[in-house]
Amino acid sequence: MSSRFLRVATFAACLLALACKREERDFRPQPARLSLTAPSEAQGDLVPANTPANTVTSPVRGGNPYEGVAWGISEGQFLFDSYNCSGCHARGAGGMGPPLIKDKWIYGVEPEKLFETIAKGRPDGMPAWGSKVPEYQIWQLVTYVRSMNGLEPKSATPVRSDHLQQSLRERPLQ
Amino acid sequence: MNPQSAFQTAGQHADAIRNLGLQFVGLLGLIFLLVITMSLLSIRRRHRGIEQEPLEHTHHPSPGTEAKLTRAVSIACGITLLIIFGLVTVSVSVGKGISAPVNAPKDLVVEVNANQWWWQIRYLSDDASAIVTTANEIHLPVGRRVLIRGSSNDVIHSFWVPSLQGKRDLFPQHMTSEWLKADRPGRFRGQCAEFCGFQHAHMAFWVVAEPDAQFQAWMRQQLQPAVEPQDDEKRRGRKVFMDSACVLCHTIRGTEASGFVGPDLTHMGSRLSLAAGAMPNNKGNLAGWIADPQNIKPGTHMATVPLHAEDIQPLIDYLESLQ
Amino acid sequence: MATALGLLLTGGLGSQIQNQPDDAQWVMPAKNFASTRFSTLSEINTANVKNLALKWSFSTGLDKGHEAAPLVVNNTMYIVTPWPNTLFALDLTRPGPAVKWTYQPNPSRSAKGVACCDVVNRGAAYFNGRVFYNTLDMNTVAVDAVTGKEVWKTSLGTIRQGESMTMAPLVVKGKVIVGNSGGEMGVRGWLAGLDAETGKISWRAYTAGPDTDVLIGPNFKPFYPMDQGKDLGLKSWPPDMWRIGGGSAWSWISYDPELDLIYYGTANASPWNADQRPGDNKWSSTLFARRPETGEAIWAYQLNPHDDHDYDGVNENILLDLNINGRLRKVLAHPDRNARMYIMDRATGEVLSAETYAHQNTSEGVDLKTGRLKTVPSKSTGFKTVRDICPAAPGGKDWQPSSYSPRTGLIYLPHNKLCKEFEGRQANYIAGTPYLGATVRMYAGPGNYRGQVSAWDPVKAKTVWSINERFPAWSGTVVTAGDVLFYGTMDGWFKAVDARTGTQLWQFKTASGVISQPVTYRGPDGKQYVAVVDGVGGWSGAIVSGGLNPKDGTGALGFVNAMSDLPRYSPKGGTLYVFALP
Repeated sequence: MSSRFLRVATFAACLLALACKREERDFRPQPARLSLTAPSEAQGDLVPANTPANTVTSPVRGGNPYEGVAWGISEGQFLFDSYNCSGCHARGAGGMGPPLIKDKWIYGVEPEKLFETIAKGRPDGMPAWGSKVPEYQIWQLVTYVRSMNGLEPKSATPVRSDHLQQSLRERPLQ
Repeated sequence: MNPQSAFQTAGQHADAIRNLGLQFVGLLGLIFLLVITMSLLSIRRRHRGIEQEPLEHTHHPSPGTEAKLTRAVSIACGITLLIIFGLVTVSVSVGKGISAPVNAPKDLVVEVNANQWWWQIRYLSDDASAIVTTANEIHLPVGRRVLIRGSSNDVIHSFWVPSLQGKRDLFPQHMTSEWLKADRPGRFRGQCAEFCGFQHAHMAFWVVAEPDAQFQAWMRQQLQPAVEPQDDEKRRGRKVFMDSACVLCHTIRGTEASGFVGPDLTHMGSRLSLAAGAMPNNKGNLAGWIADPQNIKPGTHMATVPLHAEDIQPLIDYLESLQ
Repeated sequence: MATALGLLLTGGLGSQIQNQPDDAQWVMPAKNFASTRFSTLSEINTANVKNLALKWSFSTGLDKGHEAAPLVVNNTMYIVTPWPNTLFALDLTRPGPAVKWTYQPNPSRSAKGVACCDVVNRGAAYFNGRVFYNTLDMNTVAVDAVTGKEVWKTSLGTIRQGESMTMAPLVVKGKVIVGNSGGEMGVRGWLAGLDAETGKISWRAYTAGPDTDVLIGPNFKPFYPMDQGKDLGLKSWPPDMWRIGGGSAWSWISYDPELDLIYYGTANASPWNADQRPGDNKWSSTLFARRPETGEAIWAYQLNPHDDHDYDGVNENILLDLNINGRLRKVLAHPDRNARMYIMDRATGEVLSAETYAHQNTSEGVDLKTGRLKTVPSKSTGFKTVRDICPAAPGGKDWQPSSYSPRTGLIYLPHNKLCKEFEGRQANYIAGTPYLGATVRMYAGPGNYRGQVSAWDPVKAKTVWSINERFPAWSGTVVTAGDVLFYGTMDGWFKAVDARTGTQLWQFKTASGVISQPVTYRGPDGKQYVAVVDGVGGWSGAIVSGGLNPKDGTGALGFVNAMSDLPRYSPKGGTLYVFALP
């Protein structure tokens, strides 16, 4: 058997082994990741960030379980629309809320900081979603927002959004 | 009676499709048998040419044989073309009979909006305030032609009630439509027929065909806002619903819950199934579904809502009371 | 006819509604009840306006979108800022006017999260020694005009339901009339009348719901059959959708003292995805005539039934007495978001004409028999993608108010030239968050410019002249008896134009873009002054005021796509400039 054949065979085997790696999909959130992070109020509305009711200390523990998980990013994108995040932040440009694709973050882009921003809200209008949204979903949103900024592995990030692509008929600006 | 069978049909559209299928199978089966028989016969027949002449020699049939062969092949081709053309004609005419233009004159219009992995159902009406919205369950008056209009909110799905009609694909951002008519009362199961992700298999629904009077009563009842909880337990259940993630996605008309991401729950207690046909609708199944949806439909978008143990029973009692 | 004859006999051009007496002050943003924004001052005219010079300036210290008109009363200028809605009183009797007092209503910071289109405020109104205005967090305040002390503060709703307040009140017959904002948040729109003395709410007229909520009673006489019937605000919606159906009243109100009617329009229906709300969705995108003291509806006309494109009906209604087809008619002129100029009989609600004043392809006209807008089916939206919709969501013209000069007989329209593409998806309602169901991108319309200022002849129903602008013309206009028209642009030019010809006579470069409303007044020294506030922002300028990222064109509900070059032309700002002849 020639050494060349051996080399090719080894290479092919490596490729095959790579192809076998499948992303682990843990659909069921661990019970610890199910708690609410801010108290809810009687009216059933979202709690504005700077109300006295929202004084719980940070619940963040154990880091982001969806770091680099394509399914987590995709769920985050689904929730980003479902929970109307896109209404204020568009697909990263912002609008009623600040942009989410940017270099300078007021409260930080680290997973724990983002988690806190979503869960506890921020004073200029970001509601405290932790009063309603389960912890594991907040992590999914965190992962999606980070993926917008290229902070998640390329292998897990979708290359384009599921939404309206720019029309070729649009006229260029002056 | 099998509720999901393309052979035990309950409507003229399904009949047409079944008959078309039987015609196809019959005719093509016959041809298949014919071809196989001929092949076997020709294999059995000893071939003189090969035995008499060495293989390397080119075989030249006589001019008479040549003409015979040409004729045979031409006739076979002609018959094949005729059969294919005939089948296409029959198929297209059946297709035309069951499909309907989106803007066809309306009698009863049911709009189906497919989602991963459930069905939103809306009964349209010129009187907007008579529009009924429900999920995973379609009620039909027996003998009345219904226009089904459908599209999808995410990926391509396919609407299929084997006992009543053929498959109709539902696309995002595009409307398709067809006629539906149930000729006899009954419950028929429908199923998504285009692979659409993790829970494709658990994306089912029920079609309930009933006499017109019963149907109208059902419509009237569905138009009512949700019943007010009658006791403290159910009132507490409603509060649990409003204070938890439930309210972010579901509608219960008559309360502040107006979400459109998940099924409308205004009359969920009156439905046959839970989780898009995944299981029968009863308190036990509902408790299992709310407590751990990923156990029943792994990958589902239904949130695993953190609830205190003592809150689950009131919530279930409240939801099941929404008749 | 008798009235018309009477007017003619008394030689009464002076008695026509557009010729109101002018005290050379500026007591309400629209200048007068007829909303003409016309000043009889003529010291500055077409000949000398080229000498106009900056006299003084004043910074609000803020850098969000400044949309308010300054008020000038008793030699004091009042300026309302965007959130935090500070009220400044400037003493005009001293050179380099000093701050007399400031009033801080301290609105909630969280309110900024429910303001759809920047944290703007469109101004205050002065009446009987008090200044009235709205705060972003759902309060109407009355402030003593001399001392700056709060007289009363009335809460009208909660930001938790997505409501906010940005409009300028109108004070009529002792009632402060205000409305809410939030058509993008699924609020339930309303207009309310508050007692000017006490701040008590005397009436509240909802836009949708049963007739009792809309204040529709036996005196309600809409002109067209499509608007007649019982409980249409309930029956033209799928069950319960009217509760979250939008139709806020966030813009202008006019008043006709003779007919004793106020006129205002209601906003778009929620959500933007029209497939989710089959039906006419009354009374969204509707013009209402109501009694100011009781709020009772007298007539209504739905401009955009089953609104497909976020065409709010809120734009200004200019009240005019015009000779149309040989008859003197009491009309209102309403340049709608759908790019049509409605000339309507303001006593009955009959449409006299509805011609196109800006580029559009969404409607073919108004059927003058039925009153119904004939929409183009291929441009209707829903669960689908539709491209090349003109005008885009901000309409042929948004809230930026036009003016009318009785000297030229022309309406001066600042407007947009934008188109959009639209993708509908399922909107979800969560109280206090956006309720849209659409992904939108806007872009410049044909001709590759995004705004225009046009002079419109309301009798002939056609454009007389127009000036193209690089960006949407998002400031109000003001016209004077010197036949000078003033307006500002988003790239920061404050311009004076000949009102008859459209020739540019003078311009001044402001620090930031202008999206506010210029005013003109006579100062304590007897000279005519022109004042304008800069500070780009609002919906159109959100890319600058909110620091939005142009990489994603769908930002600011799709406006970012059309404005990606604005940051190169205008920084943030917030400065008042006052000009006069040397």
